[in-house]
Amino acid sequence: MRRSCLKWAIHLFAVAFCSVVACAALAADPAPPEVDFERDIQPLLAKHCYECHGPEAREGGLRLSNRREALLPADSGDPVIVPGDAEASSLLARAMSRDEDEQMPPDGPRLADEQVAVLRRWIATGAAWPEGEAPPVHWAYVRPRRAELPAAGEGTTGDHPIDRFLDARLAAAGLRPTERADRARLIRRASLTLIGLPPSVEEVEAFVHDQRPDAYERLVDRLLASERYGERWARPWLDLARYADSNGFQADQIRESWAYRDWVIAAMNDDMPFDRFVVEQLAGDLLPNATLEQRVATGFHRTVTCNVEAGVHPEQNRTDQIFDRVNTTGTVFLGTTIECCQCHNHKYDPFTQRDYYQLFAYFNNTPLEVKNKSGVTWDFYGPTMDLPLAAEQEQRRAQWQAELTSLRSRRNEVAAQSGADRAAWESEMRVALADPPAWRVLEVEQFESTGGEDHTILDDQSVLLDGTLPDTTVYTITLRLPGEKVSGLKLEALTHESLPGKGPGRGDEERTNFVLHELEVGLRRHDAIEPLTLTQAQADFSQDRWDVAGAIDGDRATGWAIAPQFHKPHWSSFRLSAPLDAAADARLIATLDQNYGRGRVLGRVRFSALVGNAAAADLPEEIVAILRKKQVKGKDEKKLQAFFARANPELTKLDERIAEIEKQIARLQAPTTLVMVEMDQPRETHILMRGDYLNPGKQVNCVTPATLPPIDPAAPKNRLGLARWLVAPENPLLARVTVNRWWAEIFGQGIVATLEDFGTQCEPPTHPELLDWLAVELIENGWSMKQMHRLMVTSAAFQRSARVTPEMLERDPTNQWYARGPRFRLPAEAIRDNALAISGLLSEKMGGPPIMPFQPDGIWRAVGRNAPKWVAAKDENRYRRGIYVVWRRAAPYPSFVNFDAPDRAACVVARPRTNTPLQALTLLNDPAYTEAGLALAQRVLRDRSPASVRERAEYAMRLCVARRPSAEEIDTLVALYESQHERMKNEPAAAQALLDRRAPTQAAADFERVELAAWFYVANALLNLDETITP
Amino acid sequence: MTRRPLAAADLQAITRRHLFQEVGSGIGAAALLSLLDGEPAACAAGQSSTTRKPHFPARAKHVIYVHLVGAPSHLDLFDYKPELQKRNGQLCPDEFFQGKQLAFIRSQPTLLGSPTDQKFQFQHVGDSSVTISNLLPNLQQQAHEMTVIRSLHTDQFNHAPAQMYLLSGFPRFGRPSIGSWVNYGLGSDNENLPGFVVMITGQVLGAGNSAWGSGFLPTVYQGIEFRSQGDPVLFLSDPPGVEPAARRQVVDAVNRLNAQRLADLGDPEIATRISQYEMAYRMQTSVPELMDIRSEPEHIHKLYGTQPGKTSFANNCLLARRLVERGVRFVQLFDQGWDMHGSVFSGLPNKCRQVDQPLAALIQDLRQRGLLDETLVVWSAEFGRTPMAQGTNGEGASQRAGRDHHKEAYTVWMAGGGVKRGFAYGKTDELGYAVVEDPMHVHDLNATILHLLGMDHERLTFKFQGRQYRLTDIHGVVAEKILA
Repeated sequence: MRRSCLKWAIHLFAVAFCSVVACAALAADPAPPEVDFERDIQPLLAKHCYECHGPEAREGGLRLSNRREALLPADSGDPVIVPGDAEASSLLARAMSRDEDEQMPPDGPRLADEQVAVLRRWIATGAAWPEGEAPPVHWAYVRPRRAELPAAGEGTTGDHPIDRFLDARLAAAGLRPTERADRARLIRRASLTLIGLPPSVEEVEAFVHDQRPDAYERLVDRLLASERYGERWARPWLDLARYADSNGFQADQIRESWAYRDWVIAAMNDDMPFDRFVVEQLAGDLLPNATLEQRVATGFHRTVTCNVEAGVHPEQNRTDQIFDRVNTTGTVFLGTTIECCQCHNHKYDPFTQRDYYQLFAYFNNTPLEVKNKSGVTWDFYGPTMDLPLAAEQEQRRAQWQAELTSLRSRRNEVAAQSGADRAAWESEMRVALADPPAWRVLEVEQFESTGGEDHTILDDQSVLLDGTLPDTTVYTITLRLPGEKVSGLKLEALTHESLPGKGPGRGDEERTNFVLHELEVGLRRHDAIEPLTLTQAQADFSQDRWDVAGAIDGDRATGWAIAPQFHKPHWSSFRLSAPLDAAADARLIATLDQNYGRGRVLGRVRFSALVGNAAAADLPEEIVAILRKKQVKGKDEKKLQAFFARANPELTKLDERIAEIEKQIARLQAPTTLVMVEMDQPRETHILMRGDYLNPGKQVNCVTPATLPPIDPAAPKNRLGLARWLVAPENPLLARVTVNRWWAEIFGQGIVATLEDFGTQCEPPTHPELLDWLAVELIENGWSMKQMHRLMVTSAAFQRSARVTPEMLERDPTNQWYARGPRFRLPAEAIRDNALAISGLLSEKMGGPPIMPFQPDGIWRAVGRNAPKWVAAKDENRYRRGIYVVWRRAAPYPSFVNFDAPDRAACVVARPRTNTPLQALTLLNDPAYTEAGLALAQRVLRDRSPASVRERAEYAMRLCVARRPSAEEIDTLVALYESQHERMKNEPAAAQALLDRRAPTQAAADFERVELAAWFYVANALLNLDETITP
Repeated sequence: MTRRPLAAADLQAITRRHLFQEVGSGIGAAALLSLLDGEPAACAAGQSSTTRKPHFPARAKHVIYVHLVGAPSHLDLFDYKPELQKRNGQLCPDEFFQGKQLAFIRSQPTLLGSPTDQKFQFQHVGDSSVTISNLLPNLQQQAHEMTVIRSLHTDQFNHAPAQMYLLSGFPRFGRPSIGSWVNYGLGSDNENLPGFVVMITGQVLGAGNSAWGSGFLPTVYQGIEFRSQGDPVLFLSDPPGVEPAARRQVVDAVNRLNAQRLADLGDPEIATRISQYEMAYRMQTSVPELMDIRSEPEHIHKLYGTQPGKTSFANNCLLARRLVERGVRFVQLFDQGWDMHGSVFSGLPNKCRQVDQPLAALIQDLRQRGLLDETLVVWSAEFGRTPMAQGTNGEGASQRAGRDHHKEAYTVWMAGGGVKRGFAYGKTDELGYAVVEDPMHVHDLNATILHLLGMDHERLTFKFQGRQYRLTDIHGVVAEKILA
């Protein structure tokens, strides 16, 4: 990196100074005349320097186009001109140098001595540089003014301020606007735009027949007041905030910060003024008497990725996180590509490397966000805040407490009267001993694993692993049941010649350990898997601090391991909480989660089931021997009595239950969220040379960029001061950048097309006066986001038909003059939300921890230690809005990815909008959309009954696209229905296979199988229509 | 049941404007519908757009890029260091340790040479400047096809940042991967398959999906993962009970309704959507056909060591050839499990056994099909490994010793696609710590790969945030010496 930078810088100076043309022969004059900048210096610089250091270029961080710029520090950290001190000016030294790596210009003839002399005199006498032609300031750095509304003239489409501006340009472009969209399409567009959900058929009908002149405005107000509004508008903001539920990088673990997401939704629903919205997110913790919510808001800058891979250097990690905060701040609030200044002065825009690190200083006072676990291992850490327990959790805790109290008193009673029960216990044990329990090896039906290993099922029904050795893995073993009542399970970790060091672990020849973090078993009947509870873990041997109990405690940090008892087989056994007496077609599914890393995984495993009467299975042999005696006397009697006192089943049960409840209460921890916290002792901030944290340069302090209006000198030198400076009305960028992004969300593209860049390289605004008018309107209207959205969607431009005429396509293919209404595909989350709403599956439950709806297996593959596991919800959490779906950066929700969702590892200003076959496959085949299709089919049959096929087809289509379909469209749907009905009639098995994919929350509705299956195909087609996924 | 490919509908070929004019002039809807029902036409609709011209004549048209995740111990495989063996167990020179950033080693380590027994010995192969360990006997046989680069170096020494640095030219998230740059630059030769395909054995690498992501490039250029379990492409197979014939009828109905909408609204995006549904339908046949290696003859299975239906690196190598044969531009194989901080001399032979035969087979197979000249095969990793031991201080058994992450020098190789044959490039010092001859930075490697594909890395740019971005940032020098 260094090498090339230097090479470039050299090269650029070179070009600048090369091919020197002799100037006036000054040397001959004994008393040198005064240097005239415009006559002597300016032409010299222009000719020899400007190609690389002129108005268009800033190689090496140096631009010689005006005095202010020329005197700024270059990338070397020092200015090249020091007025009055020629010897300290590297400009001169470089011009005189004969060193190939130093000289300027870098190649070609050297600067003539006379020219060097005149440069020297110019600098020595103060480097006078008349500010005659200061270049005009880029428009975006000038405070917006509210322009006069253009006069309403001929052909204007309305009196709405937005239309007044747009109409003026429309006329100039020679385009005629389309007519207003029909009512049904309009309500759908407004609804999807404002709340991200479609209108119901009833809402469409009501609006179509609403004769009041302000029917549309009323509709808009209703939508703005809906709580769905915040959920819809949080999505683009969370893209900017790079909000995700995981760390990113190697160990992409889940972390809790969903309270921040909920804060954003609530703020938007409350129409929190945007300036406050900004201040609370950047510096809520620093506000006087900061509230809980204000501190939650600072999660905005705690969303950055965090690398906790072993061997990471925490300071580098921290520096990267601050870079991210500075860059995101620049992008989101200033529309400025400030990150260019990390290594050097901005090449195009008036920001310097010093500006960058002065901003960096504002963010440099938060603590480290990793903590040392051991050696070179790091854990994600960092300031978190406890959230209050939810009311229902509080209630549950109270219930448990009450139960605990009564259990404890019961236990005391039982212990007291235990003697009375002994006779009964004794006879029960004798019965059990007559039918002694036995272990039956379970036959393996199927073995799967996530680590890509090979496996062999040996004759003894053990599974032997070989091939790839993954760091971590999960085995899933399908086992046949023995056909007798099962009361316990045994897992054997066996050795084998083919395993390194004979096993039982696979990772190491010497230390043949394994770590079984979690053993889970379930009973599969038909397609449902019912989890079974294991208790009473025992093992022939457990490693210190790795007791076998850890393998069934639901905690993925604990588990069973066997060091130092290497190279020999081991076993563990477990009891089922209730004996299992399952049908012959049921299967036991065991999953063995081994996530320690470094291949500490099992090499050969075998399962057995405990059959027979197990009530006496745990009795020590001595007690068994006593019970088998005809008469119990003396010492035996005492032993029995002592054992019984410990083994009283009711007492055991009570103790178990007490322990369980205590555990539940302990687990009922308050949820937490990530927040910003300022350290007491601020860090020193230095310019980092070339962005390298190991290479600090000059020290800098908290100062805002010089190009922008100055910060109030009394403002605190911390994030709060910075945030207030950002939202000050003098800031020319914040309001413009913000309204422009909203405009793009609503109209499909920005007034400035480069949403992320308002610098000199940006696309010029299509409607500069409108942009400024909107920006001023936002500021003067108390920064109300809802008012701004209301303004935009009540314009005639928004309400136009999206019909494209050939003339329009020719003259304005991108619709930048807004002759037609906006028409663009829904974003990823909205496509799913829309399908859920149409099919009636959508749950409107708000907030809380992220949800896991259905996704195919194998998406969340382990990428490191403590990898989380995807467990698809089977309740309403399966059907909540996309904003609540858990966002894991290494593997975001796959159907969202197919519709252009980013991984949220970094700030995303605008998602691409692509149109791909993978999107078609998603809507056609993703089981989530199959569920939606089946639900829609049910809904049609339920809501329209009795009804003809045509009536139902019409209704189904209205659910999807709001408008009434044409006869031709209904024909197509009916034809599809009929062909599928015919097919399903002849293939009842296929119909059943399809219907088995129904949503788990849907009651087994009482519909005729063939009918429902046939309507599924119609629903499937409708959910795939371009119109369904496009407002 | 086989799928009937749609009889028609090259809607991409009908340019948007053309289509629109048809629609606008009133015959559009009818024409479109007849297209959907009627005559066969050329195949349609690229995943990422059709082929684009390179900047200059390309040497390679395809890349099979094998990334050994975790970083193999190049010192025990390719960069033969007798001096290191000689000084095995001695404390390393101060300058190897003091003031250096190492991921795991925290006290001055000892030097670690490769074991001297037969199994670990090196052979001089290729033009005999190439040395390859006996751990890779099959690749030794293919050395005459390889350029072995022993002087690669990087700036990052943790996995995820180093993977992103190598694969996207930037050590943090957000930049396009090399495969997506190539896909963006050249497009795909096969309209029925993605231009950039990724396959994985073992765990996903630390950089996650970003390793094949498209960053700020349009998402159509991102790598598509072909999975070896479940659907090879997500959501490829029809729901249970839905047969291909029924799927065809649904797609027909969707396209018919979309065509009516197109006629009504004239939005060209709808025409694209129709063509994408046709493409999706064709992928439902073409991808399973591609992934089904049972059709390969026995001698090919023998060559690669493939077993149909299993997840293995060998299967992925064979699939890579099948993909390239079908015109896929960039195939990337990731294989996890090379990060040997401990027990490198017991772990390495196992991993080598998994990749040696299939990779050698891949080179041979490409050659025998005449594909090697136009296909660049790359063996790479995010960094190398230290000549110093981790986990011992000269005391521990050699079995347990491992090697830490090393960014100063490591080895990768390339074969085919316009690189020299049987050629060793660059040199490290006698202990293998630093490059002493022909250094190649990872930016230079990327510049060279693009060059082989006919692209100037300084001209393959994309404007984002007001700036023209490229894979090599502001760096990168093509290693002219390795070009054939």
